[in-house]
Order: sequence, then structure tokens, then C-alpha cells
Amino acid sequence: MKSFFLKDMQYRRARVVLTSLGITVLISLILLLGGIMNGMRIQAQQYVKSTGADIWISAEGSGGAFIGFSLLIEENMAPLNAARELKEGSLSPLIFAQARPIVRGKSTKAIVVGYMTDKYGGPKQVLDGEGRMFKASEFQDYRPEDPIPLEVIVDEKMGLEIGEQITIGTNTVKVVGKTSSLMFVLDTPLIFMDVRVAQKVLLGNYPRVNMMIAKANENMEPEKVAAFFDASGDIEARTMNQTLDDIIAYYVDEPMKAVQFLRVMLWIAAGLLVGMITYVTMLEKTQEIGVLKAIGASNNYVMTHLLKQVALISVVGVTIGFCLSYVFAAAAPIFVAINLVESIIVAGISFIVCCGSGYLAARKVIMVDPLIAFRGEIDGGMFRLPPTVAYPDA
Amino acid sequence: MTAIIEGIGLTKRFGFGDAAVVAIDSVDIHIDERELVMIMGDSGCGKTTLISLLGCILTPDAGELRIDGEEIDLTAEAQFQQLSLIRREKIGFVFQLFHLLPYLTALENVMVAMDIAKTDKSEAEDRSIELLTRVGLSDRLHHRPAQMSGGEKQRVSFARALANRPKVIFADEPTANLDSRQSDNLMNLIQELRQEHQTTVVIVTHHEGLKENADRIVYMKDGKVISS
Repeated sequence: MKSFFLKDMQYRRARVVLTSLGITVLISLILLLGGIMNGMRIQAQQYVKSTGADIWISAEGSGGAFIGFSLLIEENMAPLNAARELKEGSLSPLIFAQARPIVRGKSTKAIVVGYMTDKYGGPKQVLDGEGRMFKASEFQDYRPEDPIPLEVIVDEKMGLEIGEQITIGTNTVKVVGKTSSLMFVLDTPLIFMDVRVAQKVLLGNYPRVNMMIAKANENMEPEKVAAFFDASGDIEARTMNQTLDDIIAYYVDEPMKAVQFLRVMLWIAAGLLVGMITYVTMLEKTQEIGVLKAIGASNNYVMTHLLKQVALISVVGVTIGFCLSYVFAAAAPIFVAINLVESIIVAGISFIVCCGSGYLAARKVIMVDPLIAFRGEIDGGMFRLPPTVAYPDA
Repeated sequence: MTAIIEGIGLTKRFGFGDAAVVAIDSVDIHIDERELVMIMGDSGCGKTTLISLLGCILTPDAGELRIDGEEIDLTAEAQFQQLSLIRREKIGFVFQLFHLLPYLTALENVMVAMDIAKTDKSEAEDRSIELLTRVGLSDRLHHRPAQMSGGEKQRVSFARALANRPKVIFADEPTANLDSRQSDNLMNLIQELRQEHQTTVVIVTHHEGLKENADRIVYMKDGKVISS
């Protein structure tokens, strides 16, 4: 009977469903946790990559463009503007700072990005039919008294309407356009504005910026250019890749160490639980295994019968867990990016753990005499009876 | 007559150290071909252990066992393959508690024994139907054990034991869970099947009323054979 093992599973469908469900939940949790970490990494990088700049400059001692407190002064900028190591005219002032804008009466998290419209650091255009670019300041010489239009472009996912006003600090700014999503870590939206507006709303018109970004001259390697500026001792300079490494370490890896630890623990717990579920499921079949052996089944026959069941339960549990994790990821309130390769590895390992545990339990049972097996007296097993009744009574 | 089963110095202990119990103590026994032997004795005297040893579903700690002229190798590596082959080809076992697989119908419970022996499916199905009809269960082919009475389950168990045309059938307290009418019917069936299939039958029972069906009775006490 080829469907012998299927009939057994059908008969015990409640247990089969629960076992598969247990595997499903564990697989989903592992993949989702990995997806959250991965999502944070992607979000941490996407703004930096979107700028196209390959040289990132911050104040000396800041630890990097996005790491420590950095305010660059005009004296730093003058030599950089003239540096032949940088592409001519590419040096761009940038303000990148966390803020708590008041949106529709509620304080919310966001990152203010102040940049110059014809330079690096912000979107070049708004989404089709979603407003316009802000009016750039006519004054580039950082005079606090110059009037500037307080206009911003917001991330489309902020859900704001064109013309709506939000408050940043003591200033009210007007939404004039929407741009495609470039969320920062943990779904923090970006609010783009002219660098002068950012100086006004965040720095009280103090003519400073957090960082300068630029493009290395075409015939120069960005690594060498960054190292050259960094060696000056007045500023810190990084390439884009170094900056990305800094961001991931500072915004993802460091704060998520506990989550990483939990993730490892979850892996171990999942391995043990999945293993235990299949192990116990197998041991519960001890009596039937004893009967099969008593009527002449070889160890191979019994093992094949059992492993077919474990394999099917594992495949179903792992597959549903795999699919559900993508569904949960889409429905999650934060950006979750499940990595397909990681998913396949997790699924593969889970399948191996399930089958391995099932094999170990089945092996334990089939190596004993049928009489002992169908009396459920596997030595050292959890079904062992007290010694006083551990022998046939007739 | 030729001995189909021969046990010499069979010994079986359960437990370890001070808690060890000698269930079978150096038992010598032989069963001749086509004999119907009953093993009787008080509860706990070792009847089930002895029939389990003879039926190769329990390994002795000491002693020699020969079935149908074949010496049973009791070394761990060898025993699994050899014993499963012997159980499959030469032995049919009927258990006190039937031990039918609950997820299979009566027909499938008989067929599974032939599936194990790699019998062709259609042949297995035909033979299973024939056996179940012979034990009076032609109208119960597609019932699961939970849907059958104790007597019916025991008859399925007998049909399963006969599935691979064994040389010996061991039955452990086959009438223990049956009423007297069912017991008589079962014994009559066993006698008929034994004649039809030329099978040796070894029955463990404490039911004195069944004695008249036996060719020979083996009495046991405290793990030893006291008369045969």
C-alpha cells in the first residue's frame, strides 16, 4: 500500500496539523526577524546610495557623517571647493538631522534633509502630479537675515497632502511636493528642504551644515581622495562604502545586538522545538512500530514509512511558514525585507532538523524488540514504565 | 514428527541489578510441526515472555533457538534482518489486545502484512478478502478496528497472522477479551484454519476450558516449564 503512511497521517490529522503549524510558526518567526534586520539594513543604505556622492565629509572627531555630532564651518569648505581631487562644482552642503515635526497636531518622527537643489543630497524631482520642487533660496552666502520660502518636499508615505502645513521646532513649513519613498531606518520618513530652510528650522539660522558630500574627480579613486582629506586633520572624510558601513554598524548592528542575540536564541529554540516535536511524534508511534515489526516489517520498511511522514509534515510546515513569512512581511507595520537566499537556507536547515530528529527517534524505536516497542517500554524513553511492571505479566 | 521450533536454555531477564527479574529461566522446549500446543500457568509465570521468545518478537538473554531448522543468530547486528525475515515468512502472531493498526480498515490491516512481504497489491487484496471471508468478516472489510467488536478484531488479527502463509501461529491469550461463545467460535476457527493451512499453532492461555483443543499442554511456573 503506497498510501499507507498517508492513511496514518489522515487518521491523526489533528496532530499532523498541529505539528505542521508549530514548524510553520517557527519558520515564519525566524524569517521575519531576519527580514526586519535586513529591512533596516536596506533602509539605512538607500538614502546614501540615492545621493550618488562618493565622498562624505564631516567635522573632525565626529566619527563619520552620520555617527557623531558634526558641524562644519566655512573655513573647512573653502579649500574643499578648490580641491582638484573633487569633481568641479560637486561639493554639496548637507544637513541630515532627526526631528520631531508636528503633523496634524501629533508629534512624529522624521529626518530633515537640507540640501541645495542643484547639488547632491536630495531628489531631483517630485513624483508625477504630486506638487512641485520647493523654491530654492536665492541667497547662498548663509546670511541669517535673508528671507527664504519655508517649503518642503515630503516622503510620499507620510500621507500628507500638498499645501498641508507641518511644524518643525518653532517654524511652520508648507508641503509643496511629494517624493518617492526613501525611508531611513525603522521607517523614518525624510523631509527634504533647502539647506537654508534647514538651517533656519533646526539651527536657528546658524550658518552651518552637518556634512559636505561630493564626487571624486573622474581620474581619482574615491578611497584615495577620502584618505587624502582625512589625513589633513581638519575634517573626517569617508567613501560611500565606508559611510554605509558606518551607518549599518551605528544604526543597525549596534542597537540590534540584543535582537541578533535573540535571533540566534530563536534559531536554537526553533531547532530544539522542531526536533522535539518530530522526536515526540515518532516516539508516540512506538506501539505501532512494534506491531509492524512483529508482523515482519524490516527496519528499513518501518524507517521509510516514518520518514515519509516526517518529510511530508516538514515540507508542508516549512513551505507554509516560508509563504506566510512573506505575507506577514507585507502586512508588517515596518519595512521587512526577507532575503530569498536566507529563506531557502532556513527552510533547508529546518527540513534537515525535522528529518534528523524523526530519524533519531525512529532509530531508537526500531532497534528494540517488537514486544518492548509495542508495550512502550523503550529504554530511557519518556514512556518507560516503573521497573516493577516493566516485564510481561503472563 | 519434526520439531519446527526448538529452544534450549532460553533465558530472559527484565530490569537491572537488584531489580532484575528472571522471567524465563533456562527453558528447554520443542514444538512439532502441525501441533497445537497450549502454554498454561498462573499469571506472571512467564507464558507471554516464552511465546514472545519463540515468536521472535523478544530476544533472549541466553539460550539457543531454532525455527524450521534455522538457527537464530542473536548477535545484535545479525538479528534484525534475520528476525524480521523469519517473522515475515514463518511466523504469524495473534495478540491478546489484537494490535490492529487503528487507521487501517480490516482489509488493509491484513493487506499490510503482505505489503511488508512485497506481495503484489492485487494479489494481496484478493487473498486478504479471501482470508477475511474465511473468518466470517466479508461484511466488515472496510470497517476500522474502532468500528468492530472484540471478537471481530480478533478474527482480523487471525486473518493478518495467516496472510503470509506462516508455518507457525502464536496466539497470546486470544480469548482473554472474548465472551465464552466468541471464545468457542474462535477455537473452532483456529482448529479449522490449522487443518486447512497445515499450520502449527502455539496458544498461551489460562482458560482451562480450552485444554480439550490442545494436542499437548506445556505448564509453566516461575519462569520454568514444569511439564509438557
